[in-house]
Amino acid sequence: MTYSDWLRADRLPHIYCAGCGNGTVINCTLSAVDRMGWKKEETVFVSGIGCSSRAPGYIMTDSLHTTHGRALAFATGIKMANPDLHVIVFTGDGDLAAIGGNHFIHACRRNIDLTVVCMNNQIYGMTGGQGSPTTPYGALSTTTPYGSQEPAFDLCELASAAGANFVSRWTSFHVKELTRSIHEGLKIPGFSFIEALVQCPTNYGRRNRFRQVMDQVEYFKTHGILVQKAHRLRDEGLPIPADAILLGDLIRRDRPAMGVRR
Amino acid sequence: MRLVIDERRCKGCNLCTMVCPYRIFRPGTKPNARGIVVPELDRPERCANCRLQALYGRTLCGMCQMICPDQAISWVEEKPGEARKVAIEF
Repeated sequence: MTYSDWLRADRLPHIYCAGCGNGTVINCTLSAVDRMGWKKEETVFVSGIGCSSRAPGYIMTDSLHTTHGRALAFATGIKMANPDLHVIVFTGDGDLAAIGGNHFIHACRRNIDLTVVCMNNQIYGMTGGQGSPTTPYGALSTTTPYGSQEPAFDLCELASAAGANFVSRWTSFHVKELTRSIHEGLKIPGFSFIEALVQCPTNYGRRNRFRQVMDQVEYFKTHGILVQKAHRLRDEGLPIPADAILLGDLIRRDRPAMGVRR
Repeated sequence: MRLVIDERRCKGCNLCTMVCPYRIFRPGTKPNARGIVVPELDRPERCANCRLQALYGRTLCGMCQMICPDQAISWVEEKPGEARKVAIEF
């Protein structure tokens, strides 16, 4: 079996723009789920509202497309009602960090046995490119035409501070590593949070000097540094570049998890 | 095995041209019936996965298939007896 057995072939091609990284993250997630050997009847994909949340519509399992920001609340309900189900949540940065921020930190605090894949495109892509809580400082969007003057949310720091069991960050360029990390997250009981930075050529890249799809993927490739390397640089007293994206498995711990059948 | 691009799914983002270690994909030149410039294949018989997937029993590289946001790249079985070209690189 490969990931293509999990896709609804009659729904493809999907509605994402040319070069949108969300499709890549779907491939990686489905490969990881496929590697777990789960049955389609026992797997549920939950999503909120946004570009990223269109993803479960293209997957041949039970899925739930819920209200804006409340994907984690609905997923908590599914997991509590039937702990035998494997629940995976697709969410975007606006969905998770802006409107669903409280659901996110409380899901981390409760440490529910969910796997959350956050496709962070650093902007509200579907509604026309408004600035989101993860838009980097100085980036242009339709609501920040002179550059964003607010510091961005670091979702991985937030998840690890709130108590998630497994936190990892990769980009849509690092497909093999992202697949491995999602696989790890699916195996670990408790809340696993995987942030995948994706390119948004239509609304983010076009305004921020990434004219081609490849330019932003190249940026992820050149500016991403492994967390081990960042720790080594810090120990040696060397400066970490300000625009570096920390990649890798940031947190792995064994807090008691909720929603696991004992 | 043979590498194919599904022209009904491809949207022409050319990400495959960036990740392929053999540079098998080239940006296309003319639009197809849907108006999308689909990448061209440059000697696809060099692809390691095409040659060795059956021998190893697993997908070997598969970067293009994984990064393709439109799920357009796949490998199909060749019919037995079909003429095939073999590329040897030194």
